[in-house]
Amino acid sequence: MLPILGRILILGSLGAAVAGAVLGFVAGRTLSLDGLKWARRCAWLYAALIVLAGVVMEVALLKHDFSVSYVAQVGSREVPTWVTVVSLWSSLEGSILFWGVILGIYIAVATYLTRGRYPEYQPDAIGVWLSTAAFFSFLIAAPANPFHTMPNPPLDGNGPNALLQNHVLMAIHPPFLYLGYVGMTIPFGFACAALLKGRLGHAVLKPLRESLMLPWIFQSIAIMLGGWWAYEVLGWGGYWAWDPVENASLLPWLTATAALHSIMVVERRGILKGWTVTLVQATFLLVILGTFMTRSGVFNSVHSFTQSAIGPTILVFLAAALLFSIALLAFRIDKLETEGRLEGTASREAMFLVNNLLFVLLTFTVLIGTVFPLIVEAMKGKQMSVGRPYFDSMVVPIGAALLFLLGVGPALPWGRATSDQTRKALLPPLIGAALFTLAGFALGVRSGWSLVTLAFGGYAAQVTIDQMFLPMMQRVKRGESAATAFVDGQLRRGRRRFGSYIVHGAVVVVIIAIAVSSSMRQTAERTFTKGQTHRVAGYDITLLGVDEREEPHRLSTIAHFTIVKNGKHIATLEPRMSQYPAMRDPIGSPDVYSTPIRDLYLSVANVDPVAQTATITIYIAPMVFWIWIGVIIMGIGGLIALVIPSVSEAPGRAVAAEHEIETVRPPPRPFAPARGDK
Amino acid sequence: MNRTVLFVGVIIAAALVVILFVGLGKDPSAIHSPLIDKPAPEFSLREVGTNKTVDLTQYRGKPLIINFWATWCGPCWEEHPSLVASARQLQPDVQFLGVVFQDKEEKILGFLNQRGTAYPTVVDEKGKTAIAYGVGGVPESYFLDAKGTIRAKFVGPMNGDIIQENLQKVLRQ
Amino acid sequence: MILLVLLLSLKVPDAEQFVGPPKGAPVADAQLFQRTREVASLLRCPVCQGMSVADSPSEMAINMKEQVRELLARGYTEEQILKYFEISYGQFVLLKPKSPVIWILPIIALVVGAVLVILKIRNLSGGPPSPPAPPPLTPESDPYVARVRDLVGGDKS
Repeated sequence: MLPILGRILILGSLGAAVAGAVLGFVAGRTLSLDGLKWARRCAWLYAALIVLAGVVMEVALLKHDFSVSYVAQVGSREVPTWVTVVSLWSSLEGSILFWGVILGIYIAVATYLTRGRYPEYQPDAIGVWLSTAAFFSFLIAAPANPFHTMPNPPLDGNGPNALLQNHVLMAIHPPFLYLGYVGMTIPFGFACAALLKGRLGHAVLKPLRESLMLPWIFQSIAIMLGGWWAYEVLGWGGYWAWDPVENASLLPWLTATAALHSIMVVERRGILKGWTVTLVQATFLLVILGTFMTRSGVFNSVHSFTQSAIGPTILVFLAAALLFSIALLAFRIDKLETEGRLEGTASREAMFLVNNLLFVLLTFTVLIGTVFPLIVEAMKGKQMSVGRPYFDSMVVPIGAALLFLLGVGPALPWGRATSDQTRKALLPPLIGAALFTLAGFALGVRSGWSLVTLAFGGYAAQVTIDQMFLPMMQRVKRGESAATAFVDGQLRRGRRRFGSYIVHGAVVVVIIAIAVSSSMRQTAERTFTKGQTHRVAGYDITLLGVDEREEPHRLSTIAHFTIVKNGKHIATLEPRMSQYPAMRDPIGSPDVYSTPIRDLYLSVANVDPVAQTATITIYIAPMVFWIWIGVIIMGIGGLIALVIPSVSEAPGRAVAAEHEIETVRPPPRPFAPARGDK
Repeated sequence: MNRTVLFVGVIIAAALVVILFVGLGKDPSAIHSPLIDKPAPEFSLREVGTNKTVDLTQYRGKPLIINFWATWCGPCWEEHPSLVASARQLQPDVQFLGVVFQDKEEKILGFLNQRGTAYPTVVDEKGKTAIAYGVGGVPESYFLDAKGTIRAKFVGPMNGDIIQENLQKVLRQ
Repeated sequence: MILLVLLLSLKVPDAEQFVGPPKGAPVADAQLFQRTREVASLLRCPVCQGMSVADSPSEMAINMKEQVRELLARGYTEEQILKYFEISYGQFVLLKPKSPVIWILPIIALVVGAVLVILKIRNLSGGPPSPPAPPPLTPESDPYVARVRDLVGGDKS
């Protein structure tokens, strides 16, 4: 019963998506009100049907209806209910259905929020969204069908991938990733609509920016959660391995970040329009590329023998989306006329250009590092690897340059500045740079790159705080009380600015934490017998004993340690080795004592319950905590920047509020001599 | 129309899609062996059950199939009957040798007693021989010619046809 | 005792056959642990997904790490050890790619990108002067939007 119902819903969603896409594009050409109305109704119908299909699958999972092929594949009566719920995205077919569900929600919300507001762009945007939706519904209907009817339903199933059951973070990481990935479809729709219309008017910048910002926030959190999960579960003391799948999640994030910056230049100066839509398109295309990379088995060595039609189907869609985007760009990019001009090379808008250059360079480097082995194999038939040593040595300098820009860019005024103004803007933050560097040095940081990071970070931190509270300080100077100035300047009018600088501040924290934690990480390996104590970096670590615990889905061997520092008991850590029935190698689960200052991380290398001995790899790294916290603050800052209630009523006001700040500086001279005024 | 965008875009897109398409058909976990057409690394290892030493050099003169496997690997169970059947059929013209690594002796003996065997199996302590052969996972099989040169490598479970096919590569030399 | 004699007669492939005698000084103790991690982090664990031998907890990686430790203790240099693994696994095993192309490509991209950005800045600086504060286009001030509005008749569904 359920398999048939699910199948009908999926086929219905495919029909609605195809019809809506056609109607949307037709309405975009003919500017037909009825066409648009019906395209919108199709969008809602699509969303309703695909979400219902997701609900049907969840019901089937919870009822353990093994006549549904996907339930038979991942379901099990033995696993806890929360594992059953998240099984929807634990395996290939289900995760594509989940993708469709999220796309449905995004399309419904975007269609609703933009109804009647962007009549010139909405029909084509709906057309693009529903074309993507049609593809995914097709994927769910045919090659990745999770609703096959099992002729002889089994009584019980194997349960989902063991790694998913290992840590609750694995249950929340994928939804965030999908919310990030899938959401990039919406700005792609606006960008394509702008190209189809041949103009990127000021009004459409708002939905473009906001629909890019929201998935960007989710994507940032998702990347962090993935790293955190790796840190808590994989047991090698790190959080990022430059694995192709990880890179796949980073690539669209990089181009989206670049686009979020270049949109600001479009808003301010009316330049970089074509470039901005290119970045938005690239973001979506990288999302599809990432989907292909993680689903096709080209990179993933665990599921390497699965030969399904899903990979080729996604590749066909990627090729089609690439072709569509390039054709649109080639035919329409010259129509997105430049309205303004750049007034100085040492201005903020010039720094945005450099920022975009660096982000695109970073994207290119990570992309080429990820696909280079494929290129070599296709051309020479030889296998090779590109790993951490390559990515680290390439990404660290680019990252440092971006951090430098994060300080210098916002310090420079928009438009033209005299060399005197420039000097006044750029010199004071050197104090912050010196402070951070000296503090780091005093606390034992010796690595060159870390000190450079601290210097740039300190510079950026000072600039960020200055800029963050500028509207408030201006109001205080005018005699407002600090509290009203804060509410008015930071929260009411300069909310977007406030949020953006919170993101900048958090980025400084995250980059410094990454640099310091990796350069100052200490590693040791000790073998303990029961009752034995080793002192490592000031921690007295004692093995209390080893025991075995049998759970329905795994057998764990747990080493119990007590940690004493300066004579005080501070923690009990229980790293373990778990043997899952379906897996060959036991999976180690480390245990971490995490503090804002440093983490003590114990990972089992070898454990023997009979002899009561354990060999433990010990990692001690400062500041790791701040990587997770920093990204969460980034998300909060992003949310603050996203919610600007004043703008929805009057599109001009937020920009006006931004300009209010700039008027403190002498306004740019419109007809100053082009050169030689120094 | 902007020809530069069209030109650059189409080239990048076509290159990307072609490379991904070529990559689709490949098994990323299969490592091509750089040892093909090179002399096989020499070893002498202890035979399971008998404690006799088996030396690679004693196999010179006739083709040899070295099969790396372990009892914990499902595909190894799958291919075992075909290997035994082929060995019964082809020996003594073609020789067979099993190398087990990352495993326990009693498990290997149990496996062989239960499922039968037709050729010697040796234990590779600490996997050093496997590393020298570039084994990336089990099962993996190496096909040596009469002079002890590696002529072919197969990753994954084999059947009679695959064994014949790879033996042809040895005999063709 | 018999077993011991038998064990002594066993022989496994040795690095010396492949890369010759050690060219460096033997490493020991704490330094050996450190160097083992460093060298092992340059080797790819063949059974994992892109993880290094230093990081992976799989038995294959532990065996490989053990071999790195032994070779370092015998005085083999990093280059020799990497070469030894490359001979059996190919360049697949090297996490730091040898191909110069991949190291040069980002630098070429940087140069090309920088030239493009400079040209763009030049180009834009020579354009028409922009108004000091560009007035945001509201539906009222945008003729195109106004026309579309007319056509769709202020639809609000």
